[in-house]
Amino acid sequence: MSNTLLEVKDLKKYYKVPKGMLHAVDGVTFSIDKGKTLGIVGESGCGKTTAGRAILRLVEPTSGQIIFDGVDILKLNKNEMRHIRKDMQLIFQDPFSSLNPRKTIAQTIEEPIILAKMIPDKNKRFMRVMELMETVGLAERLVNTYPHELDGGRRQRIGIARALAMNPKFIICDEPVSALDVSIQAQILNLMKKIQREMGLTYIFITHDLSVVNHFSDDIAVMYLGRLIEKAPSEILFANPVHPYTKALLSAIPVPRIHNRPQRILLRGEITSPINPEPVCRFANRCNYAEPICSKEEPVLIEIEPNHFVACHLKGINANA
Amino acid sequence: MDIKKVNEKGNTLEIKNLVIHYVSEDEVVKAVNGVDITIASGKTLGLVGETGAGKTTTALSILNLVPDPQGKIISGEVLLEGKNVLTMSDSELEELRGDKVAMIFQDPMTSLNPVLTVGDQIAEGLEIHRKISKGEALKQAKEMLELVGIPAERAGEYPYQFSGGMKQRVVIAIALACSPDLLIADEPTTALDVTIQAQVLILINDLKQKYHMSMLMITHDLGIVAEVCDEVSIVYAGRILEHGTLEDIFDNMRHPYTKGLFGALPDIEVRRTELKPIKGLMPDPTNLPSGCPFHPRCDYAMEVCSKLPPETKWLSDTHCVECHLYKDTNESML
Repeated sequence: MSNTLLEVKDLKKYYKVPKGMLHAVDGVTFSIDKGKTLGIVGESGCGKTTAGRAILRLVEPTSGQIIFDGVDILKLNKNEMRHIRKDMQLIFQDPFSSLNPRKTIAQTIEEPIILAKMIPDKNKRFMRVMELMETVGLAERLVNTYPHELDGGRRQRIGIARALAMNPKFIICDEPVSALDVSIQAQILNLMKKIQREMGLTYIFITHDLSVVNHFSDDIAVMYLGRLIEKAPSEILFANPVHPYTKALLSAIPVPRIHNRPQRILLRGEITSPINPEPVCRFANRCNYAEPICSKEEPVLIEIEPNHFVACHLKGINANA
Repeated sequence: MDIKKVNEKGNTLEIKNLVIHYVSEDEVVKAVNGVDITIASGKTLGLVGETGAGKTTTALSILNLVPDPQGKIISGEVLLEGKNVLTMSDSELEELRGDKVAMIFQDPMTSLNPVLTVGDQIAEGLEIHRKISKGEALKQAKEMLELVGIPAERAGEYPYQFSGGMKQRVVIAIALACSPDLLIADEPTTALDVTIQAQVLILINDLKQKYHMSMLMITHDLGIVAEVCDEVSIVYAGRILEHGTLEDIFDNMRHPYTKGLFGALPDIEVRRTELKPIKGLMPDPTNLPSGCPFHPRCDYAMEVCSKLPPETKWLSDTHCVECHLYKDTNESML
């Protein structure tokens, strides 16, 4: 049996807008092995969140294939989908708006268990809630408090407990620590790693923060304007980024030290519109190495070394500056 | 913190023993609890701390903009070139704001007026402070736009026609239009993507040198501090726990909280399996711990830490720390 948990093939999500078609996710292909973490990074509007939601069918993909645990989930009907969603959960970015303000912690964590009719017995269900609270490090005394009484770190722990309630195999974490202070961010990241180890979870970790994603992921996929432009194991991506956008993105991170500061690659301009994109390299107009071919043809994702995929006409050969 | 060793001449800003509370019917939020800040002419100070440390309240006090009536300035002075902002009349404040002191806010999406063109918004301050005609002000506004990297012909457009990075450039143009002596930047790049953040930081650095401005940079990001600041103050629960030059703080940090902040950051080049978070949570500002505000989270806390607030200890001419570990000696006890 293969070790692959999730396979995404040529996933597309287009939205119809007054000016045409908005290509939010445009042909993304990747796979994740069981127990591993794939980090998806990119800037606002690159389609990383939409990709995550399309994989869970929270938005219906325009086309493509999503094979989860051997099942092509785009072929499932509503009922079958509901069943398989127990295995696929989501942790949201903002612990302030993703919790119901009128439900206590216990009610919030209990809700998915009730909806899935997993534990009909009330006492046993309460025991399960307490167990989940302990797993994520929420003190027992907080069981009847409301979200507004808690800080961001604790709220995010509720979000994690709720995602774990179904005993999932796979969790998409959409910027889970972006709203938190650094000292709390480290607590939550450590917790998520610990849970992954203990429960054998597979994660997709969506973020714009490259230092966090490097710390957290086995593989990293970089997205730009709906396209996956580079994917590699974390060490390789950070040591040897090939796509000019990945290079610029890595060099733009402010490094918290004052000696040996890295040389910064400055990009011209800003991200272009994802509406009706031309079939050319979408990064060409900001790229410092663009050649005529870049504004004529769309580059395809090719494997330049084992497990290292890049979509660039120059493939880094001319771009080793 | 007592920053008496600094030469009082040539300072753009001096804040002395500032205490600000937010008072409501049933509680008192102790936001700022004795902050001292000195910024020498042409220098940039980074004010670093986490949510609720009192950074923004401190910044607002410099323009006397602390929300009234719940915000109460309990004590302290905010001196701009020797004049106390906190006792100025409304008309004096009007002259000051946007002219001598300008502020860049965190969120460019909400700090621009959606129904005025960006040209008009930049010209507004010039018209008021420079007492020039509207036409002349618009001409200068267009020059400012070019300066921040936006073509002058876009002066007639509205904020919604600009992207986030461009809006923040407009905000910077507004702030710099009257060439202020002091620029307060409150998390100016937090709402921006990293590649755009890199562009904006370089712009701020260039303009700072060009105009020889002093700057107060409020941020939670030590990477940004390393890039734009000369000195750093680490704030926690409304107190400055450590202050020094970039070298003092980055190479020779002393306070356990400063060490904790650096330790909690994932290092981009060294992959560790475990991060070292600071244990516990930020203290509740309505019920601050006794003694040193950091003691409940500190790995080195001693008996005295919960009893007495630590005094300022100068480790060198530029570096001071508020911590009982450094009571008698310059050497680290850690």
